[in-house]
Amino acid sequence: MEGRRYLLVCRNIDCRGRGSDELMAAIKKGLDERGVEDIEVKEYMCFGACHEAPNIVLHPSRHWYAAVKPGDVKAILDHLCGGPAVERLMNKIDPTHREFIFQLLDAGLF
Amino acid sequence: MDTILFPARQSTAKESLAAYRGRGGYEALSAIVDAQAPARVIEEVQAAGLRGRGGAAFPTGTKLELTAKAQAEQKFVVANGGEDEPGSFKDRILMEHHPHLILEGVTLCALAVGATKGYLYVNRTYAAAQASLAAAMQEAAGKAYLGRGILGSAFSFELELFRAPTPYVAGEDTAALEVLEGKDPVPREKPPYPVQAGLFGKPTLVSNIETMANIPRIVLRGAAWFRGFGTAQSPGTMIFCLGEEVRRPGAYELPLGTPLRQLIDGCGGGLRDGKAIKAILPGGPSTAFLPATCLDTPLDHQAMRDAGSILGCGVMELIPVGRCMLEEALKHAGFFAAESCGACPACRMETSTFQTLLRQIKEGKGTPMLLDQFDKVAAFNRGKGRCSLIAMAAAPVLSAVRHFRGDFEHHLAHGTCPPG
Ligand SMILES: Cc1cc2nc3c(=O)[nH]c(=O)nc-3n(C[C@H](O)[C@H](O)[C@H](O)COP(=O)(O)O)c2cc1C
Ligand code: FES
Repeated sequence: MEGRRYLLVCRNIDCRGRGSDELMAAIKKGLDERGVEDIEVKEYMCFGACHEAPNIVLHPSRHWYAAVKPGDVKAILDHLCGGPAVERLMNKIDPTHREFIFQLLDAGLF
Repeated sequence: MDTILFPARQSTAKESLAAYRGRGGYEALSAIVDAQAPARVIEEVQAAGLRGRGGAAFPTGTKLELTAKAQAEQKFVVANGGEDEPGSFKDRILMEHHPHLILEGVTLCALAVGATKGYLYVNRTYAAAQASLAAAMQEAAGKAYLGRGILGSAFSFELELFRAPTPYVAGEDTAALEVLEGKDPVPREKPPYPVQAGLFGKPTLVSNIETMANIPRIVLRGAAWFRGFGTAQSPGTMIFCLGEEVRRPGAYELPLGTPLRQLIDGCGGGLRDGKAIKAILPGGPSTAFLPATCLDTPLDHQAMRDAGSILGCGVMELIPVGRCMLEEALKHAGFFAAESCGACPACRMETSTFQTLLRQIKEGKGTPMLLDQFDKVAAFNRGKGRCSLIAMAAAPVLSAVRHFRGDFEHHLAHGTCPPG
């Protein structure tokens, strides 16, 4: 699976309540339209950051996008296609917390 | 006599009112009602050092006192016979065979805290226990032990039998209160605690069936007598449940402080096929596994804590040598993932993460780094959520990884259980 990228969308209560299903669908559709094939969009049980829902994490690049809105999908797609990371959605989550989740992902839990 | 709850000669028949009276039944109630001395119940229970038998071992005297002190026009008592802990049947045995002991205990609690209405919250699958309690309630009312003007006094107490739903969380005290109010079994945010604002917002004492069954005996015989059983820190007895893995399954009442080995070998006759024990889950699915080196640990609260687990509600599960501890951990993780009520995101996160981690390890997918994630997930979620299910779910999983890491490493390396 070397080189494979993952976009993980939280599907716990708060994230779903704030539209993570719709975000996931929009991102999948956007990736299809742009013909991107090396990214797998997957649901994730929970990132434990419900206060900043909905949450999206890119693995293994360690980008965490929090409180994502439908209007942010285009910028995220641009990032996935080689554009800059979406700074305005980053750094909302406590760094220790981020590290905890990144380690879970690095250990292979997704 | 070396028991508090069960009669000296135990039988599986229902104890009649006459038989119960023959061992001092309802004498405590008569004495307290006549003397108009409800405070004596609290004093005696505090002096006895009784702790709750529902799992958390909270001092019962403190709970009685807090409910008694709460100012309100109406108060309630709830006897918790939800008993949804897999493997536990001690409350069922008490209710089925010794219904008058329960009725007197609940009534004394009501008198002590100033409650006029109470509920027997009984697992809905316990038909025989319900029938036994219902018949005993009629008998008791006929003798003025229950109802209006108990034994000619000014104290009236109305008791109702309630069929409790069976999801695991429905036994949590505030979830039980929700159910009694006609709602779904979802734990409440705390504070306020039930002793402050419980059923319909009124001060409410929620205690386990076995806890309440101790009270008539404590009031009648006194705290010093009660302290003749058990240890200074953990006075009294506790009923321990042994399941089908031993030669003589059953509910055994033993003084606290009895060595674990005596329960397993002396009472239970050891494992059925003479196998050796690999691990012990001393207090039900929500407690931590102990390795076999702990077989001489005394069954008391402090000794169990020092050994790394708790007595919980006294359901003893024994894992024979040859069983894979990853499978055991996964079984419990699956139970908690299914039983988490879903109201708290942190609880869903923890229980589903444990389950996913264990499944991946089971199939040998991932690196040994996975084994270090359990503690982090538990630490992240510790103290969160409305009820203690989060802590309960962590105990068996973390302890299995800690004590039996080899089983997990074998799965990671080979994707199979270690050879028995
Ligand atoms: C998830 C969960 C399930 C519980 N189930 C029961 C139960 O079935 N019976 C019970 O007596 N206590 C149960 N408890 C404990 C109760 O919340 C409460 O502490 C207990 O009934 C108080 O009685 P005690 O002080 O006499 O132990 C449960 C707690 C939790 C968190
Ligand atoms: S509900 Fe999404 S981070 Fe928990």
